[in-house]
Amino acid sequence: MIQKKVCMVGLFGVGKTCLVQQFVHSMFSAKYHSTVGVKIDRKIVSLDGREATLILWDLAGRDGVEDITTTYLRGTHAILYVVDGTRRETYDQVFELRDLARGVAGDIPSAVALNKMDLNEHWLLKSKDEQALADLGWHAFRTSAKTGEGVESAFTWLAREAVAAGEKSG
Amino acid sequence: MTVEIAGGLDSFGLTHPGKVRANNEDHFVIATLRKSLALEHTSLENMGSFDGMQGSTARLFIVADGVGGRPGGELASGTAVETLLQFLTRTVGCFNTVNVEKENAFLISLDLAVQAAHYRIQEELGAGGHSPSTTLTMAALIGPRAYLVHVGDSRAYYLHRARLRQLTDDQTMGQFMVDAGAWSEEQAARAGIGSNLTSALGGSEMTPRIGLVDLTPGDTLLLCTDGLTKHVSDEQISGVLESEASAEEKARRLVDMALESGGTDNVTVVVARMNG
Repeated sequence: MIQKKVCMVGLFGVGKTCLVQQFVHSMFSAKYHSTVGVKIDRKIVSLDGREATLILWDLAGRDGVEDITTTYLRGTHAILYVVDGTRRETYDQVFELRDLARGVAGDIPSAVALNKMDLNEHWLLKSKDEQALADLGWHAFRTSAKTGEGVESAFTWLAREAVAAGEKSG
Repeated sequence: MTVEIAGGLDSFGLTHPGKVRANNEDHFVIATLRKSLALEHTSLENMGSFDGMQGSTARLFIVADGVGGRPGGELASGTAVETLLQFLTRTVGCFNTVNVEKENAFLISLDLAVQAAHYRIQEELGAGGHSPSTTLTMAALIGPRAYLVHVGDSRAYYLHRARLRQLTDDQTMGQFMVDAGAWSEEQAARAGIGSNLTSALGGSEMTPRIGLVDLTPGDTLLLCTDGLTKHVSDEQISGVLESEASAEEKARRLVDMALESGGTDNVTVVVARMNG
């Protein structure tokens, strides 16, 4: 079966672990646990009649881009950058995160999850922010790890891109 | 039991039945897996191609805490450790350096190893509601990377630059209720069913969690059963691990502290320090 390593990258507290838990176990925990090192989960996804195993690397979030442990990104086939839509700085720093990750992993399929969309009253991102991502060729998904909205779509899109990229490169 | 590797790792494991229980249902293992080629005589000239085949190793650290009363709990934890070692001896042989190409398969094999142990316990010891089961916490150290597998409420800790971090989340009813927002930490600690396992090898539910962390010189790993953590706080553990003592001295000190605080359960610790 096809196996694809997918790394979750983002600053501290943006909801990386919750997105994985929602996608893999259909669970949401209100209590925050900071991740130490990397948590690994896997899920088999069906893509147009074919199955692929996604090995999800949930990297510990950090306060700043410079603190991200880049060695964990080696060999990854795709990256899901996670932004907390209620914390502007997590959006601002995602561009720097991308530069850092590309330096290690190369130009691989990636997407951005604009997470915590259930927190409407605290949402700080504007449509122009999403347009800025699109202008850079980034596929962005509004997600809620709490309600599950957009989560399946984001991971499935990324899985399909990773498999297609693998086939292209032979 | 001790394994000391010059300039690399100082490790020691210790188990004690405690002051209340007659038998010890805990088990631990410290082991080294070696894949090596020892050339004796050859006509080949390019010997450099064999450099990577000489002496590469993986180190395994495991603790398991059996549940189910004598002799079931002891058998369950022993069976889990034995099955894991058998499985990993077969599979880790092809993965003893951090290799991104083989790492995904290795991570899956860790999961499969735990599943194999789970089903073997159920087959040999029964699979009913009160059948024996066991916790399991394992670290496989390959190069600087520690791969962790965890089921139940035994724990793995990691001391890095004088800061102690818990690498595992307890799989207990109390933790489940806290995570769900239904109980406070205090309620979970007080509730009688708070310490019931929500996941155990051989149990009705078994959800292994896998993780990894890159270690640097001076870092210390601690694996332990709940016989330690129900009596010794994280602050006390940190104090012991931060000291300049050997792994053996640290392990003995931690077990002594659990016994001095009541020793109501079997207590097992494995300490491994990356030498700086």
